[in-house]
Amino acid sequence: MIGALSRLLDPLRGAGRHAITVPPMDGALQPNERLEEAPLVCSLASPDALTLSGPTALAASNSKLFAFELDAGAPREVGAFAADIVCAALSQKGELAVGLSDGRVTFRRVDAGAIAPSPLSDLAQFSCPTALAWADDGALFVCEGSQTNPASEWKRDLTERGSSGSVWRVNPGGEAQRLAGDLAYPNGVLALPDGSAIVSESWRSRLIRISADGATDVVVDDLPGYPAGLARRSAGGAWLALFAPRSQLFEFILRERSLREQMMREIDPDCWMAPALRPARSFLEPLQGGALKQLGVMKPWAPSRSYGLVLALDAQMRPEASAHSRANGLRHGVRSLVESDGRLIVASKGGDAVVSLALDARGGFA
Amino acid sequence: MNPREHYRKWRYRLVPDHVLGEILAKDWIDTAIPVVILALTLTVLGALIPGLVSVRGLSGLSAQFGELLLVTLAMTIVVLAGGIDLSIGSVFALANFTTLALFNMLGWPILLVIPIALALGGLVGLVNGVLVGFLRLRAFLTTLVTLIIVRSFVDMLVLAYAVKVARPKFRSAIWDFISFKSVLGLPMALVVALVVAAIAHLTLSRLRLGWHIRAVGGSRRSAYNSGINVRATIATTYVISGVLSAAAGVFYAARLNAAGSDTGVGLEVLALTAAVVGGTSLGGGRGSAFKAVLGAVIVLIVSNSLIRLSLPTGGTSFVLGLVLLAAVAIDVKWLKNRGKLLSRVYVSPTYLALPPAPSTQEGSASPYALNNKLGQVEVIGLDRIEGPEDPILDSAGRLYSGTRHGDIVRFSGPDLSEMEVFVHVGGHPLGMAFDRDENLISCVAGMGVYKITPDRKVTKLTDQTNRSWFTVIDDSRMRLADDLDIAPDGRIYFSEATIRFDLSEWMIDALEGRGNGRIICYDPRNGSTRTIIPNLKFPNGICMARDGESFFYCETFGCNVSRYWFAGSKAGKRELVIASLPGYPDNINRASDGGYWLALVGLRTPFFDMALRDPAARKRMVERVAPDEWLFPNMNYGCVIKFDEIGRITDCLWDRHGLNHPMITSMREHKGWLYLGGVSNNRIGRYRIPGADPEWTAHASYRGETL
Repeated sequence: MIGALSRLLDPLRGAGRHAITVPPMDGALQPNERLEEAPLVCSLASPDALTLSGPTALAASNSKLFAFELDAGAPREVGAFAADIVCAALSQKGELAVGLSDGRVTFRRVDAGAIAPSPLSDLAQFSCPTALAWADDGALFVCEGSQTNPASEWKRDLTERGSSGSVWRVNPGGEAQRLAGDLAYPNGVLALPDGSAIVSESWRSRLIRISADGATDVVVDDLPGYPAGLARRSAGGAWLALFAPRSQLFEFILRERSLREQMMREIDPDCWMAPALRPARSFLEPLQGGALKQLGVMKPWAPSRSYGLVLALDAQMRPEASAHSRANGLRHGVRSLVESDGRLIVASKGGDAVVSLALDARGGFA
Repeated sequence: MNPREHYRKWRYRLVPDHVLGEILAKDWIDTAIPVVILALTLTVLGALIPGLVSVRGLSGLSAQFGELLLVTLAMTIVVLAGGIDLSIGSVFALANFTTLALFNMLGWPILLVIPIALALGGLVGLVNGVLVGFLRLRAFLTTLVTLIIVRSFVDMLVLAYAVKVARPKFRSAIWDFISFKSVLGLPMALVVALVVAAIAHLTLSRLRLGWHIRAVGGSRRSAYNSGINVRATIATTYVISGVLSAAAGVFYAARLNAAGSDTGVGLEVLALTAAVVGGTSLGGGRGSAFKAVLGAVIVLIVSNSLIRLSLPTGGTSFVLGLVLLAAVAIDVKWLKNRGKLLSRVYVSPTYLALPPAPSTQEGSASPYALNNKLGQVEVIGLDRIEGPEDPILDSAGRLYSGTRHGDIVRFSGPDLSEMEVFVHVGGHPLGMAFDRDENLISCVAGMGVYKITPDRKVTKLTDQTNRSWFTVIDDSRMRLADDLDIAPDGRIYFSEATIRFDLSEWMIDALEGRGNGRIICYDPRNGSTRTIIPNLKFPNGICMARDGESFFYCETFGCNVSRYWFAGSKAGKRELVIASLPGYPDNINRASDGGYWLALVGLRTPFFDMALRDPAARKRMVERVAPDEWLFPNMNYGCVIKFDEIGRITDCLWDRHGLNHPMITSMREHKGWLYLGGVSNNRIGRYRIPGADPEWTAHASYRGETL
């Protein structure tokens, strides 16, 4: 009874669902410069959909697929697609699933760094594949971010407070089964050996576990950013990329219906007051007071629409350590990452760079 | 424009939202609480007791009121200095007894008796004052002891002489006048008390002693450090308190002509309640004579109403105690939360629809098309100077600039590498100009307009203008003088960017979008200062046109440039020169080709322009979002443009990445170079203007020797 009454007062008091507070970056998330100072593997425009095949990494750059050796070596183009590549997953047997921004999920075979056609036929029932993962039994998990917006329009889906996403399991035979619906932009998936999957639900800033029978429970809540790609961690747990930070001002705008609708109607998405993958490049992008340069310096703690953040999650999926590229840095917008032999390879989509973070013997950041 | 925007436009044009915050920022707003309490008291008790709120009901209380007001003033003055005087009731009784004894029993002339009674009260006050002020004993305990000693003394005397003193043997016309006559329908006690209250008000608010008392009560240590004689000031308050209490005692004697052992018992609590209910803070430093009057009225009405409601014994004191408790609680809460409330309501955005911003697309035909001409400017004084808003050069080619530390620094030498502090002014010197005698005239944020002679003598020209009739905020004092220029006849025209914010908060003015600024003229011929154009949206740069009869000025948050004629056939006229800029204009200065340079301090962003049309959302943002996260115009990029007399853009200089020279608030052309300043920069930039006249100086231009 009292709870119901206080919820009625929430909009006036700015509490509960109407609170615009964001969790502070503290504890395991205490800021550092690890990501900003990490050694460069290669420069690539908008790298995304990072996968690994032995010592060779595959990464997408818009509609093209590039391969590069982890120990230096310039990226070489190995394939081109009809639309921008959003996500990719490589199976143990060398089957590469690729999600495209036009909605298709298509397949290729990867053999020693070379790409060949695959016998598997395209999956056409999706409209916004955002993440893919192969299960041990040969099934494919597909995250469908939204029913109404394609993956390239993620910013609109976020600003519309969309929650029409779903997670699917496509069996080796080809029939698809919907595991969970009404998700707020599932944007990363990690298949677990027991047949369940960890999914990052971006717009709700949390990770959920979806078991084989479709039951869901929340694993981590209240992340300070929007989670995207997940990767297997050899020390147990997982690696998680958060592609943009939450901010008080944007949380406020999400609760200002007429303002945000007018913004979507009248303004170019690059100039929205909304999270972004890239550090600001144009003077047409909005500025928050704390980000004003003083004596020629932008403070690292300035409010920012973009940020670079990678989390190490322990076996219980609790944040354990983090690597940052802060408001004054460039390596923002990390959507995909993969661990390889004592290092973590991170694709910073907003920073046009693939970098490598060294790991210590226990599997944490060195 | 849709109906919703029409509504917004008129709603924000008609309702002056900003007034609320300005009222809350006033000192006298503290008085609002006792006024409300008084209104409540009158309403509630007036409803309970018929005839209370009537001329007869109130006039019956007026003699008592005079006495209560005197002791309340006594208590207020002591409390204002951070003390407390509990001996008020005893002094009151002592004065009462003394008056009656000397007059009735001994038959001394009344004109001698009254001063003696007052002096006796003053003497007790002096004892208190010496003990508390000079020997620094605790005020509470010391005056409690005086209360007991004086009270026992009076009790002994009353025991012996009570009957004798109450029997009047002598008559005096003066005494009868004090006792029975009234002036303008008011008893003498009240007339005297009101006169004393008026004097107390003048003393506390206007005179040195009053300021000292309030300073000591507000912060004893700071008062001491500023050279106030703290001990003597405190002692003085007790003496005043003693004399005023004694005066109340004399009036009591005149009214009742009786001395009993209960005379003045509990009066100190009544006076303290009245002072605190009126809004005088027990912590000291905050209070006024008017508050004492209000408090006395409230307490008197409450206590008399309680008597008329015939509460059981002790009930009246009990209720008064509760009132005192409530008043103290309200005072504490108000003091704590007033600042919070003020910061919530002070910023008050209004509706502003700017005309569409012109394109800045690179490679387009727009005159504002993006380029990178300023990408490689030379840098002067990097990390040695902070906040050069408006650099200027003298005729010898030396470079001057204000800094945020309040200095004006001077760069000299062949490559301007030698830096020295030319003069320390204070504030933050912003806009500058040289007059015909090579005096440097500067607008100093927070201070006004100052003149610096070549031999480094600083003189204030003006820091006050005429007070407008219909503003709540006192706009006579200058808050943020920004840029200036000097007309051929010597008059100085300067802009005051905003009257609502200080320099450190200048960006918040952009969130409001209201015309908070003005252009002011200082006339050195008669020393007068007058506001000539009010209600401008952050007026900033000012530059004399070459006709000698007009100047250009810009409105930073209105994104436009206008021209104003102060002489000639178009005198008093205003004309828009550039209606819409892609950014926020700052200083304007002359260019060698007959045009005018204009700095854009920041660029308009589509989202901010849109938010300007939604004041309610901006208001909610200010209330709910932390200030560092507030939306601001994009001031991390800057640009310099050049326009001609009719407002055509003839040049545009950009720094594409804003790395070398992040912010541009001003530029000066001098012998083929353009010098760039920025109010939050740590450097001055220098750009070689291709094809500019290498001999052109602003000095020659203002003398009329060249364009």
